[in-house]
This record gives sequence, C-alpha cells and structure tokens, in this order.
Amino acid sequence: MNLLHFSIRIQLSKHCLLKIRACLYLALSICLLAIGTEVRAGGHYEIVINPGVKERILSSNTLRSIFSMHLKTWSDGTKIRVFVLSDDDQLHQIVSKEKLNVFPYQLRSTWDRLVFSGTGQAPIKVNSSEEMLARIATTPGAIGYLWRANINENVNVLEIK
Amino acid sequence: MKMLTCSRLSSYFSSSVRWLGKGVAVLWVIGAVSVQAQQLDQPQKQPESAQAPVKWVQAKDLPAEATETGNSKEKSGVISTALKWWRSTDRPGDLQIHGFVTQAYIVTSDNDVFGNSDKGGSFGLTEAGLNASVRPLPKLQISAQVLSRRAGEGNTGMPRLDFAFLDYRLYSHETNQFGIRVGRLKNPFGFYNDTRDVAFTRPGILLPQSIYFDRTRNLGLSGDSVQLYGETAVAKLGTISTQFGVWLPIVSDKDTQLSILGAIPRGQLNREVSYIGRGIFETNDKRLRLGISGIWLNTSYDPSSKSHDPTGPGAFQFTPIYFSAQYNTERWTLTSEYAIRHLKYDDNFNSRVLNGLNVYGESYYFQGEYRFTPRLEGIVRYDVLYTDRSDRDGSHWASQSSARQGLEHTRFAKDITVGLRWNVTPEFMLRAEYHHVNGTGWLSRLDNPAPKDTEQHWDLYSILASYRF
Repeated sequence: MNLLHFSIRIQLSKHCLLKIRACLYLALSICLLAIGTEVRAGGHYEIVINPGVKERILSSNTLRSIFSMHLKTWSDGTKIRVFVLSDDDQLHQIVSKEKLNVFPYQLRSTWDRLVFSGTGQAPIKVNSSEEMLARIATTPGAIGYLWRANINENVNVLEIK
Repeated sequence: MKMLTCSRLSSYFSSSVRWLGKGVAVLWVIGAVSVQAQQLDQPQKQPESAQAPVKWVQAKDLPAEATETGNSKEKSGVISTALKWWRSTDRPGDLQIHGFVTQAYIVTSDNDVFGNSDKGGSFGLTEAGLNASVRPLPKLQISAQVLSRRAGEGNTGMPRLDFAFLDYRLYSHETNQFGIRVGRLKNPFGFYNDTRDVAFTRPGILLPQSIYFDRTRNLGLSGDSVQLYGETAVAKLGTISTQFGVWLPIVSDKDTQLSILGAIPRGQLNREVSYIGRGIFETNDKRLRLGISGIWLNTSYDPSSKSHDPTGPGAFQFTPIYFSAQYNTERWTLTSEYAIRHLKYDDNFNSRVLNGLNVYGESYYFQGEYRFTPRLEGIVRYDVLYTDRSDRDGSHWASQSSARQGLEHTRFAKDITVGLRWNVTPEFMLRAEYHHVNGTGWLSRLDNPAPKDTEQHWDLYSILASYRF
C-alpha cells in the first residue's frame, strides 16, 4: 500500500525522477541481496562430548541453552564447558544455523551480553578441528562440534532429538 | 510528507558529504592497515579446520557467510602466548579475562558532545574495560569489571568499579534456570543498558539518547543490589527470562546532581532503596524478542549544614517503564523501544521550579540494522525524546518565564542517524556515523552550561575504532 503511494508520487514529481529511480534501484538490489537460498545438508558433522559426560541424548532446546551459555551444569551437577570455533568458521556457522537454529551473530551478541554484564561466561574458542578434538577429549564436561571425518574414539557423539 | 523528508534529508546529506567522505577515507586507511597487519601476522599455512570435508563445504551455498574458510589466525610472539594463556581452560576455576578499548572522534556543527566537538572536532570519547570471571563451584560464578570512560566534563576517565558480584544458581534443569546475584550489578533495562559501554554490543557509536541518556548514565548504569533471576521455557515457543532487583542507586556524580536538581548542589543526594525489574520473551530461534522493564528510583536531598543551602530536603522519584521489541533475520535486525518516564518532586525542595514538579517524559526510537556481509553492516535510526509529553514543543514550559524564551528546543530532540559498521576482524571494529538532530533535549549540561548558546538544529559526525579480547 505504501509502496503504491510512493510510486504514484514518483510519477507526479518528474523533476526528481532520476534521484528516486536511483534510490529504488538501491532498495531493489538490497532486497535481492537479502533473498538467499538455504541448502540443507545434515549428517556431515556431530555434536561431541567428553567421554566422561553421562548424557547421550539432548533436546535441541537444551542444546541451544548450553551453547547460549545459559545452562551451566550437566544433569549430574558437573560443569559444562563449551568449545567453539571462530565466528566466521564454516562449521560454526552450519552448526549454529542447522543444529541450534540461530544465526551466528545472535550467538555472538548473546555471549557478549553475558560477558560484559558479568552474568555469564563466553564459550572457549579453539583455532582448529584438531584443537577442538584434543580439548574435548581431555577437558571434563566438554561439549563442541566436529566434522565426522575428524571424529575419533577419544570423544563421544551426542544424539540431538 | 515523505517527499518533504526525502528532500530535507538529501540537503543534509549534501552538506555532510564532505565530512562523511573524510571520515570514510580515514576509516578505510585504518582498516586497510590493520588487515595488512593481520596478514603479516598470519603464518604461511592453510586453514585446517575444514580441510577434510572441503569439497562438500564448497558445494554448500551460504549466502551471507561467504568469507574465508577456517580461522587459524595466530598472532606471533608475546601477545599470542598471553592470549593463549588467557583463553586456556586449564587455569583453576575456569578463569576468563575479557576487555575492550574504544576511541571515537566526534565533530559537531554546533553544541558540544563529549568535549569541544564543535571547534574542529575532538577525540573526547575513550572507553576501556577489563573484566574477570571465575566459577569456583559449578553453580557459583564471581565476576567483576573495571571501567574507564572519558567523555566530556561528566566522565574524566577515572576507572570505576562497574560491577562485582556473586551469582549462585539455585535451580537448574534443562531450559529452566533460577538464581540469585548479590553485589554491584548492571541495571537491567531495555535491550542495551547492561552492556552500553561496549562498542561491539551497542547499535551505533551513540546509543539512542532518548532512552539511554549519556547525561545521567551513572544513575541508570549500575547499583549495589540483590537480584533474583529466572529463565523458563514457555511451551515450545521460546523462553522468558526475568530479573528483579532491590538496589541503591549511585547518585554522587555531578551530571546526575545537575540533571535532578538543575544546579550543582552544596549538599548531597542520598541513596535510597530502589527497585528494578525486566522480563524478556525470546522465541527459540531468537528471531523475535519482546521486553518490558521498569525502574522505581528513589533519592532525597540532604542540604549542606555548613553553608547556607538554598535547596531544601526534598525527595525525588523517577519511575520509567520501557517496552522493547526486536526482530532478527539473517540480514536484518529491526529494533524499537518506547519509554514513558515519570519524574516526581515533593514540596520540600524550597524551590519554585522543583517543588511539586510532576512530569511524564516520553521517548522512542525505530532502528534498522542491515548486514551487507557478516563484516559490513549499515544502520538507520530515528530517535525521539520529549522531556514533557504534554508539552512536546516546549512552548508551555517557555511561556512560564521570560528567561526561557527561545529555549523551547531544550525540551525535545529528534535524531536521524545513519551509520556503517565494519568488522575488520572478530576482535577489531570500525564505525562511521552521521546524526542530524533537531532539539537539544539530551545534551549534557556540563558540556553545554549555557542553554542560550546551543543551537536547535545541529549535525554530528563520528568515527570509532574498537578492539576487544
């Protein structure tokens, strides 16, 4: 409705037609940029935990609560320690969107709010899949994610329902 | 109306293009240098994090995330070792240390914001913070932050204890949490107050001033408090998180005293028991966030006993309510907040101006953030403040005294903001911003002591660089 009005006005005021046309092209190109295609593909990665963690199955809401750093302890009362890759890592982005169903920037702002208001801690950042594997295997209560190809017997895979 | 706004906007732009041009050029240079530095630091090796499934990754189309693969950037030398130590979990109690440093450059056409900004610009805004948190027990966290803020006359940069408290989780089961916090705490109101001094977390160089006044920031920022908090799942829709606190506000700084009493007093303001609460509903995918927060702040004036104090022992109450809403998509974040602010003075101030003053102020803003790429974001905002919602143009207020003639513009402010944010790395960020403001309602009175010297229509240009770890 608004757009219609807007376009009628454009026709009425010819002297600034060029300017507005440029604006519209800009708006159009922004809209086009916004339309992205989502390709779904699961199963090439897993949520992994330290072998000492008793949980085998978690709901996706509980998983999101863990990666949002709100849920801090496993059901037996031990500390949860969350490991993540860098914000612009592709595996991080895929896990964030597909498993946690949030955009990476939302996780980042959630963590920043916790850290800089003192009401929580940030997840521990690792620099590579190798480091992720090593840290999860050796840190009690650890949780993270790995490409399937990088998983070995030193960590357990967590089922998400 | 729209056309009118458009043409006015374009005239503002044409006059400001020169400044923006300069600003963007400076930003570009700084950014380019820092990117270069990053590349120099980076060892000559391929990112390994996504090596194995790399074919599949390339086949996958992630439109907004088309950045380089992996992130194995390593800084060399001492800094790297120190950072690794900081990030290591092997320290006792899961100690974490984080911090940030921010520097802004501000130029205004008229009026002063954070220093003498209208005479060739100023580097008047510097923010730095350092915080530490430990978890000695699974359910216990202790956190503290020291903050230094240099911003105009109101903030000298003297470090102050921003927060320091114990957080004990009383109950925790899957998505339901309940706990208590005791100590100096950030005041939870609106979407941004808790982390308002961290440039990475706020939308723009300046927060919407109608709601997050920098003038009386210390009053609203943090206080000594006992707070209960909870988080609970609502069916399958999302979660509600709530905080409720009893607190003693910090009322000792000059900006606050000036705002409440209209002059720097000889006596002092007392800290009295006050209340604060906030509830935020968030859908599971965090796309929709709705919040409501309220403050009930009490303070009273203690006249000086030594000198003859003209101000009497009055009591002051500030009870704002805030409504917040946000919608997130991959590229857009749309945010709006509305506040109605009730200020009430009793009859004991011995002042014709203050006695019995009972005013409802009103504030709101609409804001759109757009992520062109994960690195580059744009922001547009329209922010409105009315000191008295029953006298929006200040005309009634001005008609009450001849000294107020021509100062109507101190009773409102309408701010149009456009800005850009460039995340050069996840740790380093640059920003450029332009404001056109009609009104002087939120200007600091310490920085602008003579209202008659302020201009109703003014522009503000700013660039900012911020680093965090």
